Amino acid sequence: MYYILTNNKTMTDTKKLTDEDLIEEVRLNDKEVFAIVIERYEDKLLRYAKHLVTDEHKAVDIVQESFIKAYINLNSFSTTKKFSSWIYRIVHNQAMNVVKKYNKETPLLDNIDYKSDENIEKEFEQKETIDKVRSCLNQIPIIYSEPLNLFYVEEKSYEEISDILQIPIGTVATRISRAKIIMKKICLTN
Amino acid sequence: MSHELENIKDSVMSKIHEDKIKMKPKLYFILGSILTFLGLVGSIVMSTFLFSLIRFSVRAHGPMGEYKLNELISNFPWWTSLFAILFLALGIWLIHKYEFSYKRNYLHIIIVFILAIIIAGWIIDTVGVNDKLSRRGPIQGMMRGYMKNGGVQINSLPRLP
Repeated sequence: MYYILTNNKTMTDTKKLTDEDLIEEVRLNDKEVFAIVIERYEDKLLRYAKHLVTDEHKAVDIVQESFIKAYINLNSFSTTKKFSSWIYRIVHNQAMNVVKKYNKETPLLDNIDYKSDENIEKEFEQKETIDKVRSCLNQIPIIYSEPLNLFYVEEKSYEEISDILQIPIGTVATRISRAKIIMKKICLTN
Repeated sequence: MSHELENIKDSVMSKIHEDKIKMKPKLYFILGSILTFLGLVGSIVMSTFLFSLIRFSVRAHGPMGEYKLNELISNFPWWTSLFAILFLALGIWLIHKYEFSYKRNYLHIIIVFILAIIIAGWIIDTVGVNDKLSRRGPIQGMMRGYMKNGGVQINSLPRLP
């Protein structure tokens, strides 16, 4: 549901709105509200971009450029869909352009703690070394590490990952499953 | 919040304030959708028509079908195909420009597109739309030419004194 904001409404009221309501507000009434949208997503998107390109400065550029693109194309966003998936998709596209440009197919990962409810997590915990996990993750092709990252770090559902990466849900499940297997193999052989 | 993150917000918002970046109007996206739709419809109609016309020509002229096909190709209104392709290309370009976020299963679209052409072409040919077109419509001259002259275009025959 969309709430028309009046001049009397405070920023606190605005912050209670859903993403989609905020976007409608930006489109119709107040461009300033876009700052709230940025605040909501910049941390998450920067973490996601860092996972994809490994370089913090490039990640910042990607996120900034993504917000700019999102703003320019805001009228193409359908509020019946999730803004979260939309903005993640934009960051994904931007990051892929950078990855292609610098020919980085297996990105490094910084400051990422993987959560997992699978046996693989126990194995990692038993080894008690996050460096080793990073080393394993570094060797995973991006097509596997990205859905894994979205699922465990960004806490996206399979459906959202499907929207972000534009692949079928079944493929998302397969890639996550394979990513775990690959990680397991790499970790065990190291 | 880190300094870099503050910079992201400030940088983007300052660009908005200074009007360095502006939202594209809804009309732009509506136009893109319309052009894409027109391009798709145009492509399907033209492809279907071409498909059914080839079947019609080959069936009507039997063993001389190959020769008639050449005649058909030389008399086909290719400009309409060009319009269809132009609309389609423009629409896809616009979609690529803005709809970079929504999932599209291109494989399904292509399969449905091809199936639609084949089925529609077969239906048009089977129900005799081509016969009706030979009596009226923009291509009646071409079709009547094939039928009356055993596959030779009326226009291609020399006029008798």
